[in-house]
Amino acid sequence: MEADFNQPQRQSIIGIFVMFVYSLQGYTKALWPVLIIFLVRFNEYEKSNIVIGILCVLAFFIVLGIISYLRFLNFTFHIDHENEEFIITEGIFNKTKTTIQLYKIQQVNINQSLIQRLVGVYELAVDTAGSNKKEGNIRAISHELALDLKARLLENENKKTVNVEDTISTLEEISTEKTIDTEAPFIKISFLSLLKIGITSNYVKSFFVLLAFFITLFDHIKQITGKDVLHDDNIEDYVDKSQVVTAFFILFITFFLAVIVINLVKTIFTFFDYKIARQKGSLLLSYGLLNTKSTIIKPEKVQITSITQNYFQKKMNVLHLKIKQATGGEKEDNKLAIEIPGCDKLEKDAILKLLFQKIPEKGVMLKPNFRKLGFSVFLTIGLPLLVFYFVRDLLIEELPTIDYFVLLFVVFIGIIQLFIFKNNRLYINDDFIILQSGAWDVTNNIIIPSKIQAITTSQLFWHKNINIGSLTLHTAGGNISFQLGNFTAIKQYVNLWLYEIETSDSNWM
Amino acid sequence: MEDFTNETIDTTQLPKFEEVEFSVLHPNYWKVILISLSVFFLLMGIGVGLVLYFNKELYPFNSKVSIVYVVLLLLVIFFSRISFKNKGFAFRNHDVLFRYGIIAINTLVIPYNRVQHVALHEGLVSRFFGLAKIQIFTAGGSSSDIEIPGIAKEQAENIKQLLMGKIQKQL
Repeated sequence: MEADFNQPQRQSIIGIFVMFVYSLQGYTKALWPVLIIFLVRFNEYEKSNIVIGILCVLAFFIVLGIISYLRFLNFTFHIDHENEEFIITEGIFNKTKTTIQLYKIQQVNINQSLIQRLVGVYELAVDTAGSNKKEGNIRAISHELALDLKARLLENENKKTVNVEDTISTLEEISTEKTIDTEAPFIKISFLSLLKIGITSNYVKSFFVLLAFFITLFDHIKQITGKDVLHDDNIEDYVDKSQVVTAFFILFITFFLAVIVINLVKTIFTFFDYKIARQKGSLLLSYGLLNTKSTIIKPEKVQITSITQNYFQKKMNVLHLKIKQATGGEKEDNKLAIEIPGCDKLEKDAILKLLFQKIPEKGVMLKPNFRKLGFSVFLTIGLPLLVFYFVRDLLIEELPTIDYFVLLFVVFIGIIQLFIFKNNRLYINDDFIILQSGAWDVTNNIIIPSKIQAITTSQLFWHKNINIGSLTLHTAGGNISFQLGNFTAIKQYVNLWLYEIETSDSNWM
Repeated sequence: MEDFTNETIDTTQLPKFEEVEFSVLHPNYWKVILISLSVFFLLMGIGVGLVLYFNKELYPFNSKVSIVYVVLLLLVIFFSRISFKNKGFAFRNHDVLFRYGIIAINTLVIPYNRVQHVALHEGLVSRFFGLAKIQIFTAGGSSSDIEIPGIAKEQAENIKQLLMGKIQKQL
C-alpha cells in the first residue's frame, strides 16, 4: 500500500492524454482567431486544399502527441529524505528542476478538472509561502497516490513541530490521518444556501462584467456589419416614444435577470457540493461541480477572515466567508483567498471557533470623523458635478433630460456614500480587531493582533488640531485601513499592539 | 473581565511611539537629491529645448514653456525639501520607526520579530557622498517595507549589524 516516494516517479500513464489535451487547449487559446477565420472561409477553399489542411492538422496532432509523450517521460517527482526536499524534474530539451523544501510547504491541494475527471486522475499542487504561483504541480496522479503523497509532504511539517523522529510513530500518524480523512464532514453547504447566495451577491461585479461583454459585442457587430447598433437612427423611426420607454424597461429587466442568472450559475458551478471537514485542527475543504477542488486551511496561517452579508442575505440567514492566508505579498492575494459561500450563522460560528478557538466579539468601537463623509462626497459627487458644469451646454442638445439623470446620480451616490460612512467602523477588543465597511454588502474583516507585521499611522498636517488620523495594519494577507478616527485612541491602541507583539514570540504563520 | 481592567491601566503607561525622538537624514543626502533632480531636469530641459528649437511654429510659446519649466522645477524642489525634512528614523529596543510624507505625516513601525531581512543599498551619487540606504523587509508586502536613505555608510553598516543581531536573537 505504502508507495515509495524516495525514487523518482512518473505520473499515471494516462497523464499523456491529460498533457495532450492541456497543450491542445493552450494552442487553441493562442490561435483561435486564425482558426475562426479558417472555419468561416471553409466553403471557399478548393477540395485539394482541404485535404492538405486536414493532413496538416493530423500531423499537428501527432507531433503534439509525441511531445506529450516525451513530456510524460521526462516528468518525475520524488521526496529527498536526506535534504528534506520535494523534487520535480521536467522538460524535454530545457530541463527544469524544482526543489521545494518540505518545511516551506504551506498547502497541498488535490484538484480535478473536467478532463481529469473524465479519465479519473487528479492534480496535485504544492503551495509554498515564498511565492504566489503554484510551484509544484503534478498533472495526473491517482487518488490514492495523491492522498499518500499529500500525507507525506505534510507529515514532515508535523515532524518539525512535534519533533517526532522515529519512523514507527510517523507511520502511525499517517494511518490515523487516513482514518480522520474519511471522517464525515461537519459542514455541508446545501444547494438551497447556494441558491440563496447566488441570487443575492455580486450584483455590481456581474453588472460590469455583463456591461463590458455587451459593449465588446456591439463593437464587434459594428466592425463586421459597419453599422452602429447603439446609435442607429432607424430604430426611432419605426418605434414610437411610449414603446421606446417600455422597450428600455424590458431591456433593463432582462439585463438584471441575466445578471442574477449568471451569478447563480457561476456560484453553483464553482461551489457545488461544498464540504468542510476537520483534520487535526485544520479545515479540509472540497467543492466544485465540474472542477473539483480541495484545499486545507491551517488556522495558524490564516491572516484575515472576512464575513460579508447584505440585507437580503441577513433575512435569509446566509453569509459569505473569505479567508486570506499568508501570501508572497504581491497584488494577487484576492485570488488566493479561500471562499466559503452560503454558511448560516451556526456554521459560521463553528468555522470561526475552529480558526480562533472562540467566536470574535466586537469590542470598543471607533467611528470615522464626519470629514471622511465630506471628502468622499467631494470626490464622488463634487468633482463629477464640476466636470458636468463645464460640459452641460454640449450635452443638453443631445439629451434634454440630462439634468434628471444627474439628479438621480447625485441622490444614488449620496445614499451609497452615506451608508459607507455609517457602516465604516473599527471594533477593538483584547483578541480581535474587526473592521466593518461597505454600503450594501457589509463586510467584517477580522484579524488577530499577533498577525500584524507592521503598523502605519498617518495624519494630514491640517488635521493635527482636530486630532484625527488614519491607521493601516499590514499583515501577510493584505492591509486593513481605517481613516480619520480619533488619533489619540488610535495611537494608544498602536502602542498596546506593539507591546503585545514585541513581548510575545507568537507565531504569525 | 480582569484582563480588560488591567489593560486599560496599562495603555497609558506603555512606551509611546509618538513621543520617540527621530534622527534626521544626513545633510549630505539633500545634495544627493539636488543632484538627481538637476540631472533629471537637465535631460528634460534638453528634450523640450530641442523640440522648441526645431519646430518653428512653437516659437510664440517659448516664454510660456520656460515659465512652466521654472515653476515646475521650484515646486519639485520645494516638495523634495519638505519630504527630506519630514523623513526620520528611530531604533527602539524592540522595533524600528520610520517617519515620512509630504502633506500627511506617516509613521511606520516594524517590530524586530517581524523583520524578514535587511539589505544595504548604495546608489551611484550616494556612494560619492559616502551614504547608503537601508531596506527592511517584512512579510506584509511592499507597503510595509521600510527604506531609509541618506545614512552614513559606517552608521548604516552598524544599523544593519544591529538589526541582524536582533533578528537572530528572535529566532
